[in-house]
Amino acid sequence: MNRKRIMWAVWLLTAACLYFFENNTGTRIVLICSLLAPLIPPVRRALFAPDQTGVREKPARRTLRAPVPGEEEEPGDVRPYLPGDPVRRIHWKLSARKGELLVRETAPEKTWEETARPASSPPPREPCRHLRAVLISAAACLVFPALLALIPQARLGALSLCNRLFAASESANAYAYQYFPVPDDQSVLPAVLLLFLTLGSIAALVLLTGSRTLGLGLAVLCALFQIYFGLSFPAWANIILAGLLAVLLMRRPLSRKDLAAFGVLMLTVSVLTALLLPGIDARTEAASEAARDRLSLLSLAAAGSPDSMSQGETETRHVHPLSLADGGQEAKTAQAYRLVTVEEQQISRPGWVNWLRIILLLTLSAAVVILPFAPFLLINARKKKALEMRQAFQSEDTAEAVCAIFRHVVRWLEAAESGGGNRLYRDWAEALPGIFPEGYAGRFSRCAAAVEEALYGGSSLPEEKRAEALALLEETEAFLLRTADAKQKFLLKYRWCLCE
Amino acid sequence: MRPSLERVLLEAEKVIAGKRTVIEKILTAMLADGHVLLDDVPGVGKTTLAVALSRAVGLTFRRVQFTPDVLPSDLTGFSMYDKAGGDFVYRPGALSRANLVLGDEINRAPSKTQSALLEAMEERQMTVDGTTYPLEKPFMVIATQNSVGTAGTQFLPYAQMDRFLVRLSLGYPDYEAQMKMLRDRQDRDPASDVSVVLEKDELCAMQRQVRAVRVQDSILDYITRLTMASHEHEKVAVGISPRGALFLDRTAKAKAYLEGRDYVTGADVQAVFTDVCAHRVLLKDSAEGTSVEQVLDELIRKTENPDRRALFAGLRKK
Repeated sequence: MNRKRIMWAVWLLTAACLYFFENNTGTRIVLICSLLAPLIPPVRRALFAPDQTGVREKPARRTLRAPVPGEEEEPGDVRPYLPGDPVRRIHWKLSARKGELLVRETAPEKTWEETARPASSPPPREPCRHLRAVLISAAACLVFPALLALIPQARLGALSLCNRLFAASESANAYAYQYFPVPDDQSVLPAVLLLFLTLGSIAALVLLTGSRTLGLGLAVLCALFQIYFGLSFPAWANIILAGLLAVLLMRRPLSRKDLAAFGVLMLTVSVLTALLLPGIDARTEAASEAARDRLSLLSLAAAGSPDSMSQGETETRHVHPLSLADGGQEAKTAQAYRLVTVEEQQISRPGWVNWLRIILLLTLSAAVVILPFAPFLLINARKKKALEMRQAFQSEDTAEAVCAIFRHVVRWLEAAESGGGNRLYRDWAEALPGIFPEGYAGRFSRCAAAVEEALYGGSSLPEEKRAEALALLEETEAFLLRTADAKQKFLLKYRWCLCE
Repeated sequence: MRPSLERVLLEAEKVIAGKRTVIEKILTAMLADGHVLLDDVPGVGKTTLAVALSRAVGLTFRRVQFTPDVLPSDLTGFSMYDKAGGDFVYRPGALSRANLVLGDEINRAPSKTQSALLEAMEERQMTVDGTTYPLEKPFMVIATQNSVGTAGTQFLPYAQMDRFLVRLSLGYPDYEAQMKMLRDRQDRDPASDVSVVLEKDELCAMQRQVRAVRVQDSILDYITRLTMASHEHEKVAVGISPRGALFLDRTAKAKAYLEGRDYVTGADVQAVFTDVCAHRVLLKDSAEGTSVEQVLDELIRKTENPDRRALFAGLRKK
């Protein structure tokens, strides 16, 4: 549970980072990424750990029929006693009432066996009851987006809705308006209704069929459809959307507490994302635009063609004292340029969000600079470590020295044969590559036994063991180096750093 | 292998040929002071083996054939009214004064009898009418259970299987072993040739020595990691219990002792792992087609062995 929560946090952080990236680049990738992230199997496994019982295994329905009072008295289940009938089957109660021996037609155990289904058999499908609901939901899933695409009103409304949401999120990003000009007075109601109905249908479909793949497919379709028509939601909306999808994807039904905690988490993250990474601030943007307007007006004025201005812009020009075109125009224009430039610089002085961006950029460039040298640094570090390890060969404690030497031998063997990693050392003797001479396996086993004794028995080893181990190491090195091809030699030298 | 135990093994092999590994395992369980569950088809020599072992070690042997109407008092004994003395007199049952008890077809016994036997196995004492009688030392139960499907049987409940140290299986002999057996039994019973090569008290002393076998922390760490891995494995419904871990440790010690060492290595743990743990692990229904042995093998393969750990992490203690 703890790990799951951490993974959630990581995922949300990633989503926030993506949002940051989106703000920086003006692309619309968060929607796709946040939607697709839970699709990637390792992510899904990490985020939504399977529960104990597995996915679709509903507990088998045990319809044990409770013995209904009065049912036993029904005379349909009994017949008169015949010689040879088991005594246990005699219906004593009825017999006492009727004055003759009556026998149950079937033993009660049998009815129990018939009604109780073993737990391992698959639960029965109830096609009639579910099929209808599934069909209706599926139809709704397909019909609503189709309607959304076909009815111009709804489409415009959706565009308008997205743009408004977008504008609300990104404060003053003209991007959406620029690409998708939509009248402001367009009603967003039908679009919102249709969208919610679609989402609701997908959710219903997932819950009813129990198939997450279906729901996911439809959700992705929906997302693609949104992207195709330019209906991109702002990032916080996407995070919530993706979160809802994730809840749908989760392998087991969530408890209310989990759901509530998850909802609060999602909301907090969304609000935090919206607050902390708001994109360009509305006021900054407005001021910057105004400054830019003034600059363009100035340049127009400098061109000396006041006639080319339209009536509407003349008004603006009159408001601004700098743009008055009279005597000493050149100097004044130049000064005005300077002023405006300074103003703009002040306006666009990096806020702390931009500092973050700068830091990110710097880190990235540093990484790019350092990366080519990384292998050399790594190899050097490894070589140093290998040398240190070799120093242990001369250790005073024989046991320690033998262990160090043996460790080296094993590293050689592991380097020569990949995949033999988790093997007990005494088992190496059987799995040695066939390049060694006959006596080698025996020497290796003896050395392994000595190391085992040192490791687990805690006793010290005689001095001649050291020489034996050193001989073994030399032999191993010689044989492995002789048989290795160029690639293996390279690996031995630089990856494993085993050669002196 | 220790010579005294080697002798026991050779004696037992006189009677049952070609089953050296199983006899070794039973000897290990005996040294670890645990009980054995033999899971096999009838007629492969379970009783013969138990008799031979008890003779070779000089143990008192009792055999109990479990049927649905064996009662707990048949095992523990009961108090009977003595008319002459006017008092209740204790009549000992099958478990009293026995060292090696062969419980044949234990899964045919009613559950109260099973639990009486398993309680005696666990507590090494029985209580009849408020009086507690300690069992003989050493005390070992070799229980056999028929494979499921034989009429009137069902598997032991999981909780009761957990009390056996190891679950073993004899299996059919190979060609040579069977030929030898047939030849040996033409005119005499080789069980009469078995002589006592180890005394009861020696065995008790050995059991004490087994307890003194050294186990480094790295080995305990390995056992713990194996146990934990069994809990986290996706196909496992019930993993290795703490008792299982304890038994694993004890059996590994006995195995090390049997091989003449006074310290446990990772190989000992690996060697006894399947026998000790196979009957403690329950797989999920969804793991159809996978056997417990496969899962345990996977655990061994995936869990980093102590040799590697000790060598590479510098865990070595001086």
